[in-house]
Amino acid sequence: MSTHRLSFTLNGTKHELEVAADRLLIEVIRDDCGATGTKLGCAVGVCGACSVLVDGELLSACLLPAVFADGRRITTVEGLAKNDLTPLQDAFIREGGFQCGICTPGQLIAATALLSEQPRPDHEAIRTWMMGNLCRCTGYYGIERAIQKASGVGGQSPPNRL
Amino acid sequence: MTGVAERSASILDQPEYRVEGRDKVTGAARYAADVVMPGMLQAAYVTSPYAHARIVSIDVSAARALPGVRAVITGADTKPGRLGRRLQDWPILCWDRVLFIGDRVAAIAADTAAIADEAARLVEVEYEELPAVLDADAALAAGAPVLHPDAANYAFLGGTRAQRSHPNVQGQALHEHGDVEAGFRTSHKVYEHTFTLPRTHQAYIEPRATLVWLDGETVRVVTTNKAPFALRQHMSVALGVPEPRIVVDAGHIGGDFGGKGLSIDEFVLYHLARATGRPVRALTRYADDLQATNTRHAATITLRTGVDAEGRILAHTSRVLFDGGAYAAGKPVITLMPGDAMLTLAGYRVPAARVEATTVYTNQVPAGHARAPGQPQNAFAAESHIDLIARDLAIDPLEFRERNIVRHGDVDVTGKPWHGTDGPALLARLRTASRYGPSLARPNQVNWWGWGVALGVRHVGRGRASMVLRTLAGGRVELRTGVSDQGGGAHTLFQRIVAAELSIPLDRVAVSRGTTDAVLSDPGVGGSRVTPVQGSAALDAARKLNAKLAELGRSIDDASEIEVTGEAAQETHEASTYAYALRVTIDRETGSLKIDDATLVADVGKVINPVALRGQLEGGFIFGLGQAVMEELRVEDGRVVTANLGDYKLPTIADAPPLRIELITDHPGPGPFGAKSVGELANPAVGAAVANAVQDACGARVMSLPVTAEKIWAELPK
Repeated sequence: MSTHRLSFTLNGTKHELEVAADRLLIEVIRDDCGATGTKLGCAVGVCGACSVLVDGELLSACLLPAVFADGRRITTVEGLAKNDLTPLQDAFIREGGFQCGICTPGQLIAATALLSEQPRPDHEAIRTWMMGNLCRCTGYYGIERAIQKASGVGGQSPPNRL
Repeated sequence: MTGVAERSASILDQPEYRVEGRDKVTGAARYAADVVMPGMLQAAYVTSPYAHARIVSIDVSAARALPGVRAVITGADTKPGRLGRRLQDWPILCWDRVLFIGDRVAAIAADTAAIADEAARLVEVEYEELPAVLDADAALAAGAPVLHPDAANYAFLGGTRAQRSHPNVQGQALHEHGDVEAGFRTSHKVYEHTFTLPRTHQAYIEPRATLVWLDGETVRVVTTNKAPFALRQHMSVALGVPEPRIVVDAGHIGGDFGGKGLSIDEFVLYHLARATGRPVRALTRYADDLQATNTRHAATITLRTGVDAEGRILAHTSRVLFDGGAYAAGKPVITLMPGDAMLTLAGYRVPAARVEATTVYTNQVPAGHARAPGQPQNAFAAESHIDLIARDLAIDPLEFRERNIVRHGDVDVTGKPWHGTDGPALLARLRTASRYGPSLARPNQVNWWGWGVALGVRHVGRGRASMVLRTLAGGRVELRTGVSDQGGGAHTLFQRIVAAELSIPLDRVAVSRGTTDAVLSDPGVGGSRVTPVQGSAALDAARKLNAKLAELGRSIDDASEIEVTGEAAQETHEASTYAYALRVTIDRETGSLKIDDATLVADVGKVINPVALRGQLEGGFIFGLGQAVMEELRVEDGRVVTANLGDYKLPTIADAPPLRIELITDHPGPGPFGAKSVGELANPAVGAAVANAVQDACGARVMSLPVTAEKIWAELPK
């Protein structure tokens, strides 16, 4: 099998490596770069746990050949917070946007992409955009509350009120 | 003491902030699949393509010759090792017969996963196909193939296996109370209905991941298993390694829902690690997780209930038949049935009952525990049955439930007096909060929208737990626990309990998890146990520390090196009730249903983690909704055909309807400060609430889950 030289930035750090043609982006991110925040779930592009941003575009890393990343800029969950958490990350904690946390990296990446396209998404926009990210714990209500809170839209309950 | 109580209360009023929150939103949280070891090998398996077959021969020579392959082992190497949580009946690798499609016959450890997979393809296995038992009734037929002829030799952990009426029975039980025959004799009407439930999968988003290596005499295990001490015991018995030489590390777990109490990789990885002298990892592909592990039991449930002229239940019998699949290994309870197999009319006053439940072996995917084991099946049957009876008697279904819901001191289906939720108060809240519309006010009229009500009951968890609390400098304390984090918020719960009891700020309580060699034994996450049992151990630790400080005349700010052990032995038999009212609309052309509005009223006792509690109830509702309307692990001729998350449908955010939650908090439970459990409280009753609403809306009665558009359309009155 052919191998290819790749050069890409992952969360601002440049990586240069040689990969076999059949390797997937998720494998290179997790195994070669050691950035294990991005998770492998269904492996068939349905669950969204492996969501990453490639040049700002929301994609499933479990479906992408690693060579696709050549010359591109990849953002994963590790690249969201600088020193402080982003408002979206903080809202996920305060509004119950996760429980087990396995889908959370993908949810945060997808929601980050949503907020960059639509800074103030309404209920329907959130449901349409976030449909590709499965969560088995929250029932999605906390995820929607978190996105609303981060976008400054909608009346959020204080986190300890039921 | 008032001052302390007030300070405690104000700590529990503070916003909840997950102790592991930052790690989970930055990608720093470490899950089992994220752990690597130098020199680590990858495992792959050779699995049976037959539901039932004899292994004639295995040729591993081509696989062994493949460059990069470090070991190939077969059942001959692991014989007679079998694994399981209670009954160890599942071969680590099969050596004489395979009992389901996916049963393992050989395992490979290789330098990469691709090489291991290639080697698995090179293993030649010759099988002689045997007659397969593909449904539960066939398993009990006279002359059915006996799937476990050597059952007498299997290890049974903690107790003795009960006698069985047929060799293909995994477990069975019978309960009887009151004069059932007299109850039926005096009944105004007697109703009998049969319901069927499919296999479903827990569908955690994280597939199983396991890493095993030998560290001198010590076996080290990194795993997605949620009960590390139990796993240590299971491994010790199955592998003949003393427990202290096995160290299990179970950290963040990416969803469990009951499925991750059973492990199947650790045992074979131990053999591969021994054969190679290197760490060996198995990352389960999602498709394999769906096809080969621990599903929720398919069931056929027949309920028979007699009522008087006012619709009061006089007598009840039930027969529940669970398809346990090829092995009983996934079930931890001593009866080898799903935990709540016998709760067929839960929540009602039942003066006389005979309940009979059986779990059988078939040549299907082994079934095990899944969120509230046995309850989604029984709640669907019971709450559909109740609705059918009410409608036949022309009594509003909610009113029928109000007449029959169990009150304090009444005998319920277990034959014991009820001391749980105030049932009438619960239903009164449901009626008000949902703005329930009396459906029978529009007889013989199809509106294409309607109401469905269903209730459910779940025990508050029981068991024993212990953990250590010690003081640190600066008035800080550290709680050391063996409880893994499967998402329920256990560590945050412990932090809030300890802080409240010690009257110190939340950030002065650190909670740390340890491996099985470093902390006190813990029963694991499950059985609605964490809040009442492990939470009580945390509270006990804080109380003991307070007592110790008082004895020493010290304050927590100048205490150091004080260590106490918190213990809990929670044996109170108590249960909580919850109820749904759903309003649905049916599309008259297609039969598809839309849930317009959902109300859940739940008896939760004292709320300690408000965000997590709400999340468990919301998540439980959607979990139940998935199993109500879309989830089915379809099996054809023993083969799972919904083998990926495209075919095995899960709810998405767009499927989540408006949900209103009302809490009943004034009936204290046995947990810390009066808390109860909620993790398995909300999911089981959703299926029946949907089916009942569908009938109310359009007259179609669906007697099986999931309630799909196709089934509704087929049942529409012609």
